[in-house]
Amino acid sequence: MFDWIKERHRAGKQKSENTGTGKVLYGPIPKSIRAVRERLDEIFSCCSDVIIREIACGEKKKIIVVYIDGFIDKRLLNQDVIHPVINFLTNVESKDDVSIYDWLKECVVINSDLKDANDMGQAVHGIVSGEAAIFIDGEDRALVAGVKTPEGRQVEEPDTETSIRGSREGFVENLVTNMVLIRKRIKNPELKMEMMQLGERTKTDICICYIKGIANEQILEEVRKRLREIKTDAILDTGIIEQYICDNRLSLFPTVGNSEKCDKLAGKLLEGRVAIICDGTPYVLTVPYLFIESIQTTDDYFDHAFFATFMRILRLIALMISNLLPSIYVALVVFHQTVIPFKLMITFAASQQGIPFPPFVEVLLMIIAFEFLREAGVRMPKPIGEALSIVGAIVLGEASVSAGIASNLMVIVTAITAVCSFIVPPFIRVTMLLRFVFLAAANFMGFFGIILVGITVYIHLCRLRSFGVPYMAPFAPLTVPDLKDSIIMVPVWAMITRPKILRQQENVRGIKGSKRQREENRK
Amino acid sequence: MSRGRKKVLMRCIAVILTIPVFTGCWNNRELSDLNIVMGLGLDKTDDGKILLTVQVAEPGAIQPSSSASGGGGGEKQEPVFVVSSEGETVLEAIRGMLAVVDKRLFFSVAQVLIISESLAREGIEEILDFFERGQEVSYLMNVLVARGVSPDEILRIESDIDPIPGVYIYGTVENSVSRGTVKKTMLIDLLKEIACKGKQPSIGQITIVGEKKVKTKGLGVFRDGKLVGWLDKDETRGVMFAVDRVESAIVNVLVDEGKAALEVVRSRGTVSVDVENDEPVKLVVRVKVEANVGEYEVKGKLEAPERIKILEKALADEIRKEIGMAIDKCQKEYVSDIFGFGSYLYRFHNRCWKKVGNEWDEVFSELPVEIDVDAAIKRVGMIKNPLTKEE
Repeated sequence: MFDWIKERHRAGKQKSENTGTGKVLYGPIPKSIRAVRERLDEIFSCCSDVIIREIACGEKKKIIVVYIDGFIDKRLLNQDVIHPVINFLTNVESKDDVSIYDWLKECVVINSDLKDANDMGQAVHGIVSGEAAIFIDGEDRALVAGVKTPEGRQVEEPDTETSIRGSREGFVENLVTNMVLIRKRIKNPELKMEMMQLGERTKTDICICYIKGIANEQILEEVRKRLREIKTDAILDTGIIEQYICDNRLSLFPTVGNSEKCDKLAGKLLEGRVAIICDGTPYVLTVPYLFIESIQTTDDYFDHAFFATFMRILRLIALMISNLLPSIYVALVVFHQTVIPFKLMITFAASQQGIPFPPFVEVLLMIIAFEFLREAGVRMPKPIGEALSIVGAIVLGEASVSAGIASNLMVIVTAITAVCSFIVPPFIRVTMLLRFVFLAAANFMGFFGIILVGITVYIHLCRLRSFGVPYMAPFAPLTVPDLKDSIIMVPVWAMITRPKILRQQENVRGIKGSKRQREENRK
Repeated sequence: MSRGRKKVLMRCIAVILTIPVFTGCWNNRELSDLNIVMGLGLDKTDDGKILLTVQVAEPGAIQPSSSASGGGGGEKQEPVFVVSSEGETVLEAIRGMLAVVDKRLFFSVAQVLIISESLAREGIEEILDFFERGQEVSYLMNVLVARGVSPDEILRIESDIDPIPGVYIYGTVENSVSRGTVKKTMLIDLLKEIACKGKQPSIGQITIVGEKKVKTKGLGVFRDGKLVGWLDKDETRGVMFAVDRVESAIVNVLVDEGKAALEVVRSRGTVSVDVENDEPVKLVVRVKVEANVGEYEVKGKLEAPERIKILEKALADEIRKEIGMAIDKCQKEYVSDIFGFGSYLYRFHNRCWKKVGNEWDEVFSELPVEIDVDAAIKRVGMIKNPLTKEE
């Protein structure tokens, strides 16, 4: 149905490719230190945060140290880089057989993270990403030393995904810290982290993280391809990447997962999924993302399987309720009074009496009022939140009923819907919109309309793919071995194989898997 | 417009066009725009018109909610109101009622349909057509015949027991499960009985006791859609035992100048007809009951198996007597086979039925009857013997 939108989009994409990448070329590094200075002044004009420091070593030699103030650890820079360099250049006569540059690089500078910059572009990039560049008179290369300060927030428990059991560590904004957090959980060289940069201007570091030998190569290649195809000048969050790489860009349903929790991510990696970490955001993406993952939580695996199964059924029911309850209520009251048991009907009729609006309008008002409250709660500074909740509770709950604007039954319906909508976080936004569609259908066609919309949604879900993997797996297509970790969950010790639908290279977990590997090695 | 786009547009239009075709019940009506009918009464006026009485519930009065009473208290509302309307047909009476009430009448949760005696004597089959035809009518409502009072009076009683008289009446009929002295006839049962070959319909009866109470006890016997007479409560239970509608009942028996109450907990009754040479020769009723001793007001002990045997025999005799009375009355007085002996013939001896089916009720009233009751006492309760001093 939306083919033409896609076409238009594709056309637009091609056009943007044709206009060129907009990359600025900085050229080579001049040999003369004066020229270097001029070039740097030109590049970093009006960049008050860039410090360009010229240091004279001895009589002739001059070096220029460039870095961004506050981005690097100055003491470390002085101690490990500048001080040895000055010492060396002042005291040691130039040697003919080895260039000064190589001497400096190999023997003098004791910083562990040291790179060459062969042209101005590399040096500039190093500077803007928090490294210090050292230009030496007479060299067409520059030293780039990584002396970044460990800046940013401490590792703390994520607000969005709290759990009863399991790790309290959540990702932070710093990419390197995030990579460490994952490595801490999977101490294995098979855990691979591929770096790349996205965004013409922001030059954001992106890391593709996967476990070699488990993750499906095809999916991995697809991830790389889709990331490479992103043509934009700014990547500020994984949310932007998500929109570019998801399979069906117009679908309401999320086909790329995100998480703030390290243990959750480690679990996903071990299932054979691929993670995408982006510098500057604590949200890490996982692909492929299937419907069933929305009702799985990390707590499930740390608890008894029976409780987990019960909770999953509960979550699924909650998902249904948050989508359908208002529309079912409207359909019952407006069309299908016949199916209401008569005692319940008296209750319904009693609560409806004296309400000036039809049930549809009533539900709409209540739900929209709730969405207002919710949005206000998100945007509002935290100290004021309490006032909001009082106003919300009194206005929505009490006053609207006693004023005769809404029936008390409707308040209950809205409240249950609201509560249930928060039980399955990945679908909060989807259900928010779908609820209105169902509601409209229920008001015009009753249960028939609900079923019509329901079927449409279900067909859409069954058609949806996430990186080639069917979204509704293991139910559609039915993948019997994967049912062990779907609505029902078998205990962790019985979960011998990984989700089959992801087509991992190595499907068996634990001892069995390693045994097989050992045999293969022996051969 | 490109070809692909056109195709998409056509598809959208096609989908939208099909939607109105699918909608089944398209009348959108809100709960607050309905008058919920709890009970219906059908009577006949002197000039031959149909008098329909409906009992409508006031939900706000039954369940005062804060949203309903938002406008401030005021005087106490009655939980139901009763209105009557005349008409040549039932539907006309219903529509005529809209002149008196403000909202549409909603019949789907109606609990009882009470038919007056005079109307029943003239025949109910024609009137029931509306209730068969209308899709809004609940087939599960109980049908009763008012004996000695008009349905209007019954529906207007103000019972202290339940705010809605319709629910109260329904409840008393439902209790028949544990007493077996009234026949619970849902509308669907009645329609089935009318349509059934070789069986005459019978409907439970209802009367008023005192100011505020009703009593549902006994049975009205119909023949060809017309009420022909009544059965009292014991006879009714006989019928219930024979047609296997007893789930539980209390049967009092006299043994050794004392009384004992036996609680029937399981009963299985079958009716059949013995046929010889395609001629019906005998009506057979077989009943198998299991009972517990509920009360034993007899001097002496209940230990010995002989005493239990005596009780069993007394129980069987009592039930046989009740069934006998009922069949006798139906044969001699009313000439109406409400037991369904005829439908047994129709189903299992069709050749015989073809011979006698046309005047079955007359044939039925002439046939001898065999009643075979097998009673068994299962438990005697917590004590074996009454708590009396040793003699």
